[in-house]
Amino acid sequence: MLLPKFDYHLPKSLREACSLLDEFGAKAKVLAGGTDLLVNLKRKTISPEQVVSLNKVKGLDEATAKKGKGIVIGPLATAAYLAENELCRARMLVLAEGAGRLGSPLIRNRATIGGNVVTARPASDLAPPLMVLGASLILKSKEGEREVALEKFFKGPGKTSIKPKEILTQIFIPESDGPSASAYLKMGSRKTLEISLVNVASYIEVGPDLAIRQARIALGAVAPTPVRAKAAEKFLKGKKPGGENDPLFREAGRAAVQDAKPITDHRGSAEYRQALIEILTARTLASAYSQIMKTV
Amino acid sequence: MKKMMITLKVNEKEHDLVVAVNRTLTQVLREDLRLTGTKQGCSVGDCGSCTVLLNGQPVNSCLILAVEADGQEITTIEGLARDEQLHPIQQAFVEHGGIQCGFCTPGMILSAKALLDKNPQPTEREIREGISGNLCRCTGYQKIVESIASVGKNE
Repeated sequence: MLLPKFDYHLPKSLREACSLLDEFGAKAKVLAGGTDLLVNLKRKTISPEQVVSLNKVKGLDEATAKKGKGIVIGPLATAAYLAENELCRARMLVLAEGAGRLGSPLIRNRATIGGNVVTARPASDLAPPLMVLGASLILKSKEGEREVALEKFFKGPGKTSIKPKEILTQIFIPESDGPSASAYLKMGSRKTLEISLVNVASYIEVGPDLAIRQARIALGAVAPTPVRAKAAEKFLKGKKPGGENDPLFREAGRAAVQDAKPITDHRGSAEYRQALIEILTARTLASAYSQIMKTV
Repeated sequence: MKKMMITLKVNEKEHDLVVAVNRTLTQVLREDLRLTGTKQGCSVGDCGSCTVLLNGQPVNSCLILAVEADGQEITTIEGLARDEQLHPIQQAFVEHGGIQCGFCTPGMILSAKALLDKNPQPTEREIREGISGNLCRCTGYQKIVESIASVGKNE
């Protein structure tokens, strides 16, 4: 498959990149890892006149902890980096786990978190983890910057509230409020190179008595966008699990099914997806809680 | 710009090339540098037959614009053998029956090299995960896994 013709730009700074996008607007596409963009170009699902590569802009490819004030992730951080980096595994394990299941080892060496978020597929491996971590985004254009909560960013399959002249320049993960842990599970027909049937990220924060102060659960591939399982979260708030095998978690899984709208497609039926939501929610919650129990 | 002058360091040799911006690294390696060991399979990053090492990391070259590889180090399958001597991984594939039609082989060997460089004695599971971006329609993977495992045991 051949790539179509386009004009290519290699800005050296975000300022230059924003200038270019300001000039071209919707005629341009941003190039980060290329693992979605080049596929779409080859399949002719998009045909931008201009391609603006961010790969010569420095300082966008790492996660940095801001002493007590959360973590900042650059949009060009690759899935491989997020899966293996010490800081990510220690403080954002759910994101590292999601990143480790994205595509294949070859794809992970190029795919970026910024690209994955802006591409906004409902089955994204990174979106549910980011949602349960409470992520927010910085979108920058020549006019200035704005901050958007990730929850409000996704509008539909492949659709977000990013404007044509904007670039995603930062992903911010706030500091957690007490002992917490998280987990991610992805279910598909294959163990690699797979778009999930269902994927679930769970996050639990406990109070000093080990009761659940807050739970956040995000479901992927079961709605037009990744969604929070609010009914399940409400059910868990304030409850004190007896251990990782507490039937509470399975009950939360049953509640999570209410917040999803799975469809039947060639990957599986809606009913099967509902069954998976229940199980994967329970398992990720149990995993998160058992991690907390090991540390307190 | 529509064309760019780039320098690719391929198998330790530098090449100065003028390439159209819409050509992939696979195309430039195969067509401009005549290094046809890297294969064009699915073109969309699903099969891994286009695998090369970019700065030591295995990637799908079909999803990389050649101009994006400017100034980088690339290892193709041709870069593994020394004069007439096969690289230990290549030798292992020959000895353990890890090659049938050979189409997936360059990509498999390069993914294996990247794995072994990081993890010299991988478990079977780690091997299977390490090559999980490379598809083989002939072997059923078993002999490929054994070939890679044998290199791990000898080191």
